[in-house]
Amino acid sequence: MQKIEAVIQPSKLDAVKDALLEAGIEGMTILEARGHGRQKGHTEFYRGREYTVDLLPKIKIELVVRDEMAEQAIQAIVSSARTGKIGDGKIFVSKVDDAIRIRNDERGPSAL
Amino acid sequence: MVADPLSLGRLRSRYQDDFTQLRQNFERTGDGSAAIRRRSQIVGALLCELWGHLVPGSAHTEMALIATGGFGRRELFPCSDVDVLFLCANEKVEPAFGDSIRACIQAMWDVGLRASPATRTLKECERVHPDNLEFTVSLLDRRFLAGSRALYSKFETDLLPVVILREWDTIVQNLAEMARARHAKYGNTIFHVEPNVKECPGGLRDYHLAQWLTLLNSMREEKAWPRAAADDFYGTHDEPESAYDFLSAVRCFLHYRAGRDDNTLDWHAQDEAAARSIGLETRGTSDPAYWMRTWYRQARTVYRRASLLIDAVPPPRRSFYKQFRRKRTPVPGTDFFLEDGRLDLAEGAAVHDGDSILQIFGLIAKHGYRLSHSTEDRIADALPVLAVQMPEGPFLWSCLRDVLLGPWAAHALRTMHALGILELLIPEFHGIDALVIRDTWHRYTVDEHTFHVIDNVHRLRQPQHDWEKRLAGLLPELDRPDLFFLALLMHDTGKARRNGGHASASVELSESLFARLELDADEREAVRRVIHNHLEMSAAMRRDIFDNETVRAFAEKVTTPSQLKMLTLMTYADIGAVSPEALTPWKAESLWQLYMSASNFLDRSVDEIRYRAAADPAFFSRITALIPAMSSGPAPQGRTAIPAPVPTDELRGFLEGLPQRYLNTRSPEQIAAQFRLAQALRDQPVQLAFRSLRQLSEVTLVTPDRPGLFADMAGVLSAWGMNIVKADAFSNAAGIIVDTFQFTDTYRTLELNTSEVDRFVQSIRDALTHKVSVEQLMRSRNHKPTRPRVAVDTRLEFDNDASSHSTLLQIVTQDTPGLLREIALSFTAARCNIAVALIDTEGEAAIDVFYLTKGGQKLDDAAQASLSASLVHRLAQLRP
Repeated sequence: MQKIEAVIQPSKLDAVKDALLEAGIEGMTILEARGHGRQKGHTEFYRGREYTVDLLPKIKIELVVRDEMAEQAIQAIVSSARTGKIGDGKIFVSKVDDAIRIRNDERGPSAL
Repeated sequence: MVADPLSLGRLRSRYQDDFTQLRQNFERTGDGSAAIRRRSQIVGALLCELWGHLVPGSAHTEMALIATGGFGRRELFPCSDVDVLFLCANEKVEPAFGDSIRACIQAMWDVGLRASPATRTLKECERVHPDNLEFTVSLLDRRFLAGSRALYSKFETDLLPVVILREWDTIVQNLAEMARARHAKYGNTIFHVEPNVKECPGGLRDYHLAQWLTLLNSMREEKAWPRAAADDFYGTHDEPESAYDFLSAVRCFLHYRAGRDDNTLDWHAQDEAAARSIGLETRGTSDPAYWMRTWYRQARTVYRRASLLIDAVPPPRRSFYKQFRRKRTPVPGTDFFLEDGRLDLAEGAAVHDGDSILQIFGLIAKHGYRLSHSTEDRIADALPVLAVQMPEGPFLWSCLRDVLLGPWAAHALRTMHALGILELLIPEFHGIDALVIRDTWHRYTVDEHTFHVIDNVHRLRQPQHDWEKRLAGLLPELDRPDLFFLALLMHDTGKARRNGGHASASVELSESLFARLELDADEREAVRRVIHNHLEMSAAMRRDIFDNETVRAFAEKVTTPSQLKMLTLMTYADIGAVSPEALTPWKAESLWQLYMSASNFLDRSVDEIRYRAAADPAFFSRITALIPAMSSGPAPQGRTAIPAPVPTDELRGFLEGLPQRYLNTRSPEQIAAQFRLAQALRDQPVQLAFRSLRQLSEVTLVTPDRPGLFADMAGVLSAWGMNIVKADAFSNAAGIIVDTFQFTDTYRTLELNTSEVDRFVQSIRDALTHKVSVEQLMRSRNHKPTRPRVAVDTRLEFDNDASSHSTLLQIVTQDTPGLLREIALSFTAARCNIAVALIDTEGEAAIDVFYLTKGGQKLDDAAQASLSASLVHRLAQLRP
């Protein structure tokens, strides 16, 4: 099993969710996040005051999939989240040792 | 004595058969009340039989078997515990017959009952333990089953009333305290996606609580068990399904479904209950959203009654303040009294005056008072009479405005809604009464959501977090908060029509309300636009809010700063009212960011986006249609005057080149009126129109542009002691300016002397036509500025990118008398022309935006530096 963590632009959330569903992946966790990479922050002047946003709003999607589904999930995210501009985000992949379904104690890939 | 296994087996088998029969009856009829009464009967007979077998005859005069709690009420739900009390005459009885008692209890378990027994002597029942109040309360629902009737009679008639009356305060206050703790545990709301039918606010516990408090109040009055039945609580009088029958049916359904005492109405249970129409009068299948709507209606009725009774429980200790509040004070002009924060209708007073009733709700909205439950009952009973007494027109709007603007508006509206008054006034609201949007994120029904939206805006008066403080700054800047709150009240009424977008439907439903309130055209349009656009900001937030295109598209839908502020506040409140977790700091930050970007866009695009008749012929036609046909002169005798044709070329010339902002911030009627002023310029080169607004006055100037014009206008107003709060200055392609100034009359000159208005207007005309020197006017009326409470630093910001042909200059500085004139004189001295001016005030800060040109071009760096130095110097001189 592999854990996929994707930090994307908030405006791309619906498109990424749809793409993952289409790829047959239903379970995911969505988190509101802030951050930046090379993308600079944003400064707005409003009524003489400066408002600087260093950490831009992002969405983080976390999902755990079977090994054979990982690449499909990654491609679904990449194709739907990409705009080509700095700030599109990143995907991180790591191995998962086990997964347990709380309701009935089911373990392993079948618990996904 | 031990139970005979064969007898037990027979009893167990018989009980199982009866239980199965009960279930089948319930599934056929859906009658929960009948099912629980019948189970009480069956279990009662079974316990009597066990008693007869297991308790020796000698004990029958020394003990009594008493049903308590739900069993005592004859409400034995399918999987509920069976509460019984083994009452012993004295302390010798229990040791003597302890084996029999234990045998009975064991037999109950063996037969398949979940026994919840208690054993007490008569003397022990005299004591009330605050830590075990549940036992005392369970005795309120006692019922004789078997044993000594004499002992039971002594217990019920002699002992129990004395104990209850002696410990009345303790029992009642502890009941109230336990209920409050339970309500708090469930968030003080009936709105749960998966409610617990027993424990949740509005559930069976609250129903029983209302019964107990009613019974205890009656006992205090009558000093004995009340003669009338204490179980006289029902839902609202014309509800087809009583709250109790519905709740009972639901709980029975849940017990049978789970096979245990499970009271959670989870998502799947709701689907099944709806499919079987559990608790509904008509059998068949119903939609889960409709079924849950019934749930919320019943729960609301039960919760409201329980809350009112809890609220009426006297507190344990009275402070001096509370003793003061307890004083009964008449409410002037009404038949109401205020006592302890509750409004009571005087004894004997008839409830037929709709005007007084409405005014009372204004008081409730202002102070947070509650109505006593007896007063609520009397108002509810009088609804048919009140229905024909309710006012319309300006008085109704005045009362509604008082409610909407009060800090406790949501509380007042909930009270009005619960009593049916709100739907009398606004029948359009009926469609969203307890309307359920059945998904996992909408916590509330649509009507409750609306009240939360209104509450969320009012709560901004006391902001807690940084993002709330920023948004709170927008609230005092609303031009017409009353219209804004009216829009909030109506914004989701369209959800009752389940076809298509609800925003448009809400606008349609609001039209009839506008007519009843007799709102004018501008007021209706302001409310319409807020309702129509109320989802636009949320939609924009789902896109890239840092993208200029997103900001532009959103700003063009909003069109004016006034609408933007209302939409921002509405979006904040609307998101927060979906559920307590919906508005995260993340979302609030994004909301503020989008607001700032859109606000800046609106200010910075004014000079760029100008009206071209060729590009927007539809708008031109609308204005043309409003120009009244002008008579060519007196009609010949006996003939009708032939109207002159509408001067479309002149109109086109007037509109051409005006900033789109001008057209967006004026109604078509206002534009038509200002065109007429422009037409009159050939007779009088300075045209002025004065009008009084709610708390401001307004002067509109239409005249050919010239250097120093703006400075002169600002000077005259300052000389008269007028504090300019807002202004905008626009010019068309032909060089005609349309400047509008809104100001407060600091010294109340015009307010106290209405005849001065004409002199004031003439004074402006004289100054602008140079018949009078503005400097002389200002010297002759020297008003000393007051010391400011908040110091505002001066900040100047030049932007040569905002417009393709002018330089934007934003000035933020201390608002002082004469400020605008000094700024304008700096421009004149620097030979700068004002293409557009947007003047605003925020507290003690003046926030002014100008689009300037010099020699028809943008200001270069040198010109900016020179102007900047001049402004800084002049503004520093002005500071008190």
